[in-house]
Formats: sequence, structure tokens, C-alpha cells
Amino acid sequence: MTVSLISLILLCPLAAFAVFGLLGLANRRFPRQDYLSTAAMLIALACSFLLLREVVPEPETHTVNWVSLGSVTFSMGFYLDSVTAIMLIVVTLVSSLVHIFSMGYMHGDPRYPRFFAYLSLFSFSMLFLVVSDNLLGIYIGWELVGLCSYLLIGFWFEKDSAANACKKAFLTTRVGDVGMFIGMMMLFTKFKTLSLYGEGGIFALAASQLTTGDMVWLSIAGVLIFCGAIGKSAQMPLHTWLPDAMEGPTPVSALIHAATMVAAGVYLTARMFPILTETSSLVIAYVGGITALVAATIAIVRFDIKRVLAYSTISQLGYMMLAIGAGSYVAGLFHLTTHAFFKALLFLGSGSVIHAFHAMHAHGHDDEHEHDDSDAHGHEHNEDSDSGHVLGSEIPPDQDMRNMGGLRHKMPITFITMLIATLSISGVPFIFSGFWSKDAILAGVLGRAMEWNSVHHYILFIMALSAAGITAFYMFRLIFMTFFGEPRNQEMHDMAHESPLSMTVPLLILAVLSLPVVNTLWFNAAYVKPPPQPHLHAPAHAYIAPDTKGGTGLAFSLFGVSEAVAAEENAGHDTHGTHADDGHHGHGPAHTIAMVLSICVAGLGIFLSWLFYHRRTLSAESVTTTFRPIYDLFWHKYYFDEFYDGVLVALTVWKARLFAQFDGTVVDGIVNGVGVVTRDILAAFTGAFDNRVVDGIVNRVAQVTWAVGGRIRRIQTGAIQTYLFVVLAGIVLLILIFRAL
Amino acid sequence: MLLSLMIFIPLLGMIAVLLLPRESEELIKRVTLIPLALAVYLFISYDRSTAGTQYVVNAPWIDAFNIQYHIGIDGLSVTLLLLTALLGPICVIASWRNIEKGIKAYMALFLLLETGMLGFFAALDLFLFYVFFELTLLPMYFLIGIWGGPRREYAAIKFFLYTLFGSVLMLVAMIAVYLNSGDPGARTFDIPTLIALASTEGHALNNLNFQIWVFLGFFIGFAVKVPIFPFHTWLPDAHVEAPTAISVILAGILLKMGTYGLVRVNMAMFPLGLDHFTNGIGFWGNSLALLGFINIVYGSFCALAQTDFKKLVAYSSIGHMGFVILGLAARNDTGITGAILQMFNHGVISAMLFLLVGVLYDRAHHREINGFGGLGTRMPVYTGITTLAFMASLGLPGLSGFVGEALSLLGAYDEFKWLTILSTIGIVVGAAYFLWTLQRVFLGNLNPKYEDLPEINGREILTLVPLAILTILLGVWPNLAIDMFRESVTNLVNVLQAI
Repeated sequence: MTVSLISLILLCPLAAFAVFGLLGLANRRFPRQDYLSTAAMLIALACSFLLLREVVPEPETHTVNWVSLGSVTFSMGFYLDSVTAIMLIVVTLVSSLVHIFSMGYMHGDPRYPRFFAYLSLFSFSMLFLVVSDNLLGIYIGWELVGLCSYLLIGFWFEKDSAANACKKAFLTTRVGDVGMFIGMMMLFTKFKTLSLYGEGGIFALAASQLTTGDMVWLSIAGVLIFCGAIGKSAQMPLHTWLPDAMEGPTPVSALIHAATMVAAGVYLTARMFPILTETSSLVIAYVGGITALVAATIAIVRFDIKRVLAYSTISQLGYMMLAIGAGSYVAGLFHLTTHAFFKALLFLGSGSVIHAFHAMHAHGHDDEHEHDDSDAHGHEHNEDSDSGHVLGSEIPPDQDMRNMGGLRHKMPITFITMLIATLSISGVPFIFSGFWSKDAILAGVLGRAMEWNSVHHYILFIMALSAAGITAFYMFRLIFMTFFGEPRNQEMHDMAHESPLSMTVPLLILAVLSLPVVNTLWFNAAYVKPPPQPHLHAPAHAYIAPDTKGGTGLAFSLFGVSEAVAAEENAGHDTHGTHADDGHHGHGPAHTIAMVLSICVAGLGIFLSWLFYHRRTLSAESVTTTFRPIYDLFWHKYYFDEFYDGVLVALTVWKARLFAQFDGTVVDGIVNGVGVVTRDILAAFTGAFDNRVVDGIVNRVAQVTWAVGGRIRRIQTGAIQTYLFVVLAGIVLLILIFRAL
Repeated sequence: MLLSLMIFIPLLGMIAVLLLPRESEELIKRVTLIPLALAVYLFISYDRSTAGTQYVVNAPWIDAFNIQYHIGIDGLSVTLLLLTALLGPICVIASWRNIEKGIKAYMALFLLLETGMLGFFAALDLFLFYVFFELTLLPMYFLIGIWGGPRREYAAIKFFLYTLFGSVLMLVAMIAVYLNSGDPGARTFDIPTLIALASTEGHALNNLNFQIWVFLGFFIGFAVKVPIFPFHTWLPDAHVEAPTAISVILAGILLKMGTYGLVRVNMAMFPLGLDHFTNGIGFWGNSLALLGFINIVYGSFCALAQTDFKKLVAYSSIGHMGFVILGLAARNDTGITGAILQMFNHGVISAMLFLLVGVLYDRAHHREINGFGGLGTRMPVYTGITTLAFMASLGLPGLSGFVGEALSLLGAYDEFKWLTILSTIGIVVGAAYFLWTLQRVFLGNLNPKYEDLPEINGREILTLVPLAILTILLGVWPNLAIDMFRESVTNLVNVLQAI
């Protein structure tokens, strides 16, 4: 049952793509690719819900041999546990909603069918990644989602900025992927398998075979695999591709670059949980923490509505990484889920705003918003196709928040839903899902910082807390600038309008999902338990034995996850006797302290934002002037792009040219030189040998050398047959001669 | 008999082509289909459960030197025979409207070439092996030298002399092996016999010093063909000048003759010599892997700098053949399987790439990458197929290129950690040059010069679709190919590990 359900989930989107691909080869189109792809996704969604009911406490694996060699076998297979089931729902749900949204948003695009085909291919790849039970399968899905990301970022490839962005995304993530592949090679060489689960899987073998002497090695392997996640989840320092990826159509940004693909890095890191060591956990935590904070600071100063959200995504992904690095497995994955919904909502909402402005661009009147975008989104940004996106200096006018304002009356549904998402991401207490997941992370990080028993790791908590405050600040900045105040651009404002139903319905559904109702997804949260981490010296939030804690989440609980998280923490000091005293003092308070502090910083952020951007008691301009250097640093995104473009890319291209030149002059020069010298020597002996072949060669060499000098002698076409017969006769003669010997 | 038929039918076809009038075009087309049909039969009937050679024919040929007409196929041979037989008809179709002058002679030479290639992969007698090896040289020389581009004569002679230089060393090594194979009268060129003798304790062939020298002789001969740095500079010239179909054969089959030779002769026959160059101890122990690494990284960087589309693909071949060398150097079944898969897959993928370059060249009459732009809007189907081929070539999982590359690297990491890690640079650079090319040719605004460029036509699609299907099929189901040679590889690895 589970196998056929999972197969169906995978095959539906794949088939939808295959239809497009096969017809495309014949230069034809399926006229309703949009319905086909959407229907495929909805079936997958239904199957995912059915699958959720199939999940049992014991994870299942189903494998087949993929590559069988004499001594090793690489298998492919499904792994189904609660996390898989939840991820499947997140992916299929967001994907379905994005499909529906796109029917409105992409309407009239000349490559409309292709868009849906790509979405289908993406959904397949992402789902394959999620259900794979082994590293090779994950890697395959991993690269395929990268391909889809490439194709979709460059969907409007006529724009140079889009063409640059898709290449950058693919190459940047590939740098991380190579790290991941090296990590896989290390694990494979050690364990002779890439399967993760089961008795012969990496986790079991690592737990039983490795000793403390292997920890350095295992830490390196863990960090290398995490490199893949750094690339895919846009963590520092490989984060620069994600903001540029906003060149893609906005539904793509919502699905791929907010909700699912970029979260795959978090998912992978969570899957690798059992082989994380003390060191690799710390690396992950710090990368996540720094990313969360730095990206948030960059987001403060952006004016492009999509770029704000992009940096916000980077920052939130950093949060999740931090959680996993700090051992808060459940919290990290929980935040992944809640973030998927509210961030998808934010992106789709921004898409709705862009769409409202865009229709104005195309037509100059606002009543024909749906059926006649004849000149297509493909050209919507053409006026600034050369935008210096690297410096963020030029922003498409329909994405520039400085052109917005007061939209709440024009677009009430978009406004309300985006406000809900904003409240959620800002961590406004109790009635929004983001609060619960963020709180869980903060508590986890604080708890872990206490356990690490080293003062400087508190900095992780401080980074997370500051990021939370900054997030609340810039998100409300976005809301105030977009929906409140007076319209800044009256002409554009007049033309704006609420989006069609195909777009607002997905917004409403996502808004509901940004409430704690999302926790019900985790109703079997008792099954979601952090796998054991045998390689941690102090297995902090280690293992919750199902028999003792199993009951907690089984009951249908609105806040089931919070209980699971709490259980996770309790278990932490249950199993960890040496720090028991610290733990008992630390953990109970950790949750309370974290919750109080997180509410405080969120409130502070929102309040400041209100002062700056709504009441205007404080002036952003004067603050900017006062702190010019810091502002510049944020504005230039810490100069990462400048460094990469100016140093790394330039060096690579320079090196390539150098190699090519070396090849052409030195290596080939030697060859030609040897040729000439040989010709001369041979020429001296020509008379001595009555050998047709040598003679012929020498003549040829001579000709060629002259040919280089410009004297080309053409072989007469008519002579070829003669040549051939000579060759043939020669062969026959040779055979006869040899026979005679 | 079946095998002989397969090898010599193109030769008969050649004679027929030469004798028949020009109107017999249809016949020419069909001649290449016969080896393909036989290859399909081989694919079905080949016994995958054994490492032994099958379809053996062993008849005396030149008694004076104990030379035999000994042919037969094992897993590696059958894989490459299939590739050769597949590319044959595809090249004929690809040549059909492109070759304007002397089509009869062209086809005759092409068929002679095919006989040479098929025979080479089936030969089990060292002398026969050498004859077939040389037999491919001559038609190739004329095919490039007559139907090639502006610098065709230079390219052709460079190719010819370079390969000849290598094969002379090979010939010397071959004679040395022959002379040491036994007492006068009992000497032999028979490959299975020589393999057995070379691992017999106390036999003259089972001598480290001797094996090192003959290893080197054969190695240089094959290295030119692969090509391995620094013997590679003939390749970009030959590719750039050769007509499309000949580039396909060159990259698809001729390069594989080099790596095939390395496996068949250097690895199987001289395990002591191989051990000397791949045991990971000191400079010489790492030398083969080092050459693989250089090929990968050097070839990739050179490709990145190219602005001629065809030259770029040619350098990418050098890079990709590096993975074969690296995988072979590993000497374990993961690495060798990866290398063989990479041979086959590179044959398919590079064939696609050269066909695609040809399609564009036929329309625009130049290959300057920077001279295009925005073709994605004008030729969507062509763009789609090119993207597929590029992705396969840069090793995207799900397509065939990935499996060979990944297995080669996984195998090699076992033996050569640092060289393998450094080789992964090639993966990033490989993606860089293909994506950059994709951007410069297909993305951005349409170059107004090419507003009327016609979309890829049915004949061209016909040449590409079988290859595209194989690329996807073997990417999803690599066992389909691995089944053919698993036992042979296991057998080889057992021999190597017995050292």
C-alpha cells in the first residue's frame, strides 16, 4: 500500500512532465498542460494525505537494486517515517497551491504550458529527494531540483539578468554539491554503501563500528555533506544566488526558493542527524546562526519586495540549520513546515501585488486583469533587463516598495493574508504558527548553549534572538510600506486591483495554514523523534524512547509539536546524567526565558518598525545618514557578490585562458616542433628507404608544413577511388604475403 | 561466424559501393543497418552470466608467426561493439545531406572505417588487433583530409602521424611480447594465452621490469588515441576540421579504442606493470591517476576558454576521458565499471553534442559561441535537446553521464584520495562551461541576424532521438549496461588483486 502510494505520488508529476517533453519533441503542445499538471499535483496531494494515515511508529524502507557490481550494490528506495510523510504533504500542498496560483499569475505567457511542465518536473524531483532512503537517491533528487530551479529562474531567459541568475544559481549550488559528493565518497569508502537505514546502512554501521578515533574523520565527512546544504539552502557563504533567483516568476520563488527546494538542505541535515558529531554540529549551528543574523540585516535595507523576502528566507533557513546544529531536531523540522506555508504565502502575496501593478503596465486600465496579458510576463521587466542586480541598484518598478503604499484598501484579501503571514514570521504569540516553531528553536538553542557549558556558545542564542527581532522589524517595514500610508505613486496606485480568484484562494488557504492549525499535521508528532546521535559526547536532546513518550503526541493535540519539543528537551537531561544538575536548572527556565525574550524582541521589532514606517516619529533617512558605513555594508550585502565576481570568477576565467594559451603554444608547439624536426631527419633518409609508406608520410609532412604557411594543395576528389583500391589491394597483398610465409 | 559477418559486412558494403553506380544510395544507407541488427541480436543473446569470451572464431591465419584469426567478445567488447554499430547508421543519416562531393568515396571510406572499429573491438589476437587498429587510421585520414574544414590537411596529417607515432611504439612492444612469449616455434600473439603466460610464475613475461617497458609502449600508443595529456593536441584540430559525422565517430568510437586497449592489453596482460603505475606509492604509483586528474582539470579549463563551439566540445571530451583513466587507475570494480560506463556514455553523449554542433553550423555557417544569442526563442526543440545533452555531459544525475562519472570517482577515492578530491574541480568547471555556452548561444535576446534560422528538422531529430533515449534510459537504469560486463569486470579485478 505505502509503496504504491509513494509510487503514485512520484509518477503523477513525472507523467505530466513526460507528456510535455514527448509532445515538445514533435514541436507540439498539449493544449491544457496547466490542468494536466495541476491535476497530477492534486492526486499526489490526496495520496500524501492517505499516506499520512499509513505512517506507523516503525519507519519503513523499500529498496530495489539500482547498480549492482561484483562487490557492492547501490540501491534505490523509499524511506517512510513521520518526517517523510509531513514533508510529502508540505511539498504537494504548496506545489498544488502554486499550480493554481500560477494559472492566474502566468496567464497569457507565451511559454505558459512549459511553465507547468517545469513545475511538474520540479515536484517530481523534490518528492523523489524526500522519499529517498539513501544518499545517492537524495543526491539525484538534489541535482534534479537544481536543474528545475535553473530552468525556472531562467524562465524569462530573454532578460539578461534572468540568464545570469539561473547560471549563478546552478553553479553556486554545484560548488556545495561537490563538497557533498566528496562527503559521500568518504562515507562510501568507509562503509561500502550509501544506504542510510537498516542493518547494513550507514547509520547502523557508524554507530557500531566507529570509535572516538574516527571522530575527526566523521566530522569532516559530516561538514562536507553539510556543504551541499549550504549551497542548496543558501547559507553563508554560498547564499548569493538566492536573491538573484528572484528573477524567476514569483510562483517559482514561492515554491522552489522559499518553501521546498531551499528547505531541502535543512531536510538533508536533519536526515544526517545520526552521524553528526560535536564538531560538525557546532559548524552547522554557527553557519546557521551567522546566516540568520547577516541575512536579516541585509533585508532591512532592501526596497525590492521580493528581495526582502529572499533575504528573509535565507535568514529563516539559517534558523532551521541553527536548530539542527543545536540538536533541536524536531524544532528545526517544525519550523521548516510552518515556514513553508507562511513564506509561500508571503511570496504569493507579493506576486499578487506585482500582478496588480503589472496589469497596469500592460494595459493602462485595471478591469482586464486576467484574460489578456498578451504581451506576457516575459517582457514585463524588459525595461530594466540590464539592471545591475548585483548591486541591487535598479529594481523593477512593480517590485519597488517605494512605489507602493496604501494598498490595503485596494487589495484587501492580499493584505489580510500577507499580514497573517507577517505576524506568523515575526513570532507574534499564540495564534500564529511561526511563534511556536521559532520559540521551539530559541528554547532549544538556549538549552543547548547551557549544556555546551561554555559561555561563548550563548552567542548562538543572541544571534538567533537578534535575528528574530530584526525579522519582525523588516517584515513590518514591508507591510507598512506596501499596504499602509498614502500611495507613493498615485498613477500606479489607481490602476492596482485585487487579483483573480485563482490567486486569492491559494492565499486564503495558506493563511489558514499559517495559524497553529498546521500543528495538526504533526498529530503523530510522537513518532517524530530525533534519531540517536551516538557520536556526540553529550548527546543532548537525544533519544525519546517511544514507549515512555509515545503517548504524548498521539492524542490529537493542537499544540502537539510543542509537547514533542518539550519532551525532546526533557529527554535531553534524562539521558545525560553528567550535566544533570545544569540541565535541571537550565531546561525548565530555558523554555520560559526563550519565550519571554522572543515575545519581547518581536514586540520591539514591530514597534520600531511602526515608529519608522507608519507613525514616522523616527526617520529612516536620518538613521541611514548617521550610520552610513553600516548602512553601506548592508546595502552592498557585505560585498559578497563583488568578491565573487571580481575575484573568484575572474580568476577562474583567467586560469582557463591561461591553460588554453599554454595548450595552444607550448604543448602544441612542441608537437609541431617535433613534427618539423622529424620531417627533416626522415627526409634525409628518404632516399635510403625504398618504402612507399615512409615516403608518402614524409611528403605529406612536407606538404602540411607548407600548408601551414599558406600553400594548400587540394587532393583531387577523383583520385580517392584510386587511393582506396590501392589500400585494398595492399591489404590483400599483405595477407597473401603473410600466408605464403 | 556471426561476429565475422558483423565485422566484414561493412567491407563488403564498401566494395559494393565502389562498384555500384551512384544511384545505389539507398543500399549504402542500409549496409550500416546490418551490423546494427546483428548488434541488437548480440545484445539479446549475449550470455551475461559469464566472464568468458563468446562467439569465438579461431582459425589459423599466418602460420609462420603463429598468427591467428581469433575473434570473440567479452562484456567490454560487446558494449563497445554495440556503441559502434549504433553510431554507424546515425552517422550515415547525419552525413546524408551534408556531404556534397564524392558521396560514394565518402561512404566507402566510412564503411572501411566501421570494419576497422568493429574488428578492433573483437580481435583476440594481438597481431589482428594491431591490424584493425591501423585499419581505422587510413580512412579517418582521408575523411578528415578531404571532407574537412579549411585546415583539414594539417589536421588530418597531424592525426595520422600522431597516431602512427604511438602505434609504432605499440608495435615494438608487441614484438617484444611476441619474442618473449616462448621458444621459437611456440611464440604466440594470442591474447588469452599471453594473459595466462603473463601471470605464470617464472615465465619471461611475468617480470616486473619487462612489463613496465611493454606497458609503457602500449600505453603511449593508446594514450595518443584517448587522448591523454600531453598527447592530446591533435584532437581539437581534428574535431574542428572533421565533418560532423566524422567528429561523431572520432569522439564516440576512436577515443574509446584507446581506453579499450588500455583495459584489454595494459591492464589484463601486464598486471605487474599496471601495479607499478597505480599502486599509490610514490610518484610512479600515482602516475596513471595523476594523468586522469590532469585530463579532467586541464581539459575542463581549456574548454572553459574556448569560443569555438566544436573546440569546446572537443576539450570537454578530453576532460571526460580523464574520468575513464581515473576509474581504471582505481583497479577496483566500482572504478572500472564507472570507467566502462563512462566510455559508453561518453560515446553517446559526445555523439549528441557533435551532431548538435553540426545542426547549428549547417544553418549559421559558423561556430563562434559569442556570435549567437537568444536562439532559445527561435529554436525551442533544438534548445531542449541541446540542454538535455549538456546536462547529460555535465553529469546531471538521472542522465547517463552521472553514473559513469560518479562510479569512477567513488572507485578512485578508495585508492587516490587527494587526486580524486582535486578532480571534482572538473565537475564544477564542466558545469560552468556548458552553462556559459548555453547562456551565450540560447539565452538572452535573439540575435537579429538569426531571426529566420530554421528549427531542427526531422532527419536531424532522427539522429538525436535514439541517443537521447539511451542517455535517459542508462541514467535511470544503469544495470542495463552493467549487466553486460559485470562478470568481465569481476574477472579482471580478481586477476588484478591476485598480484
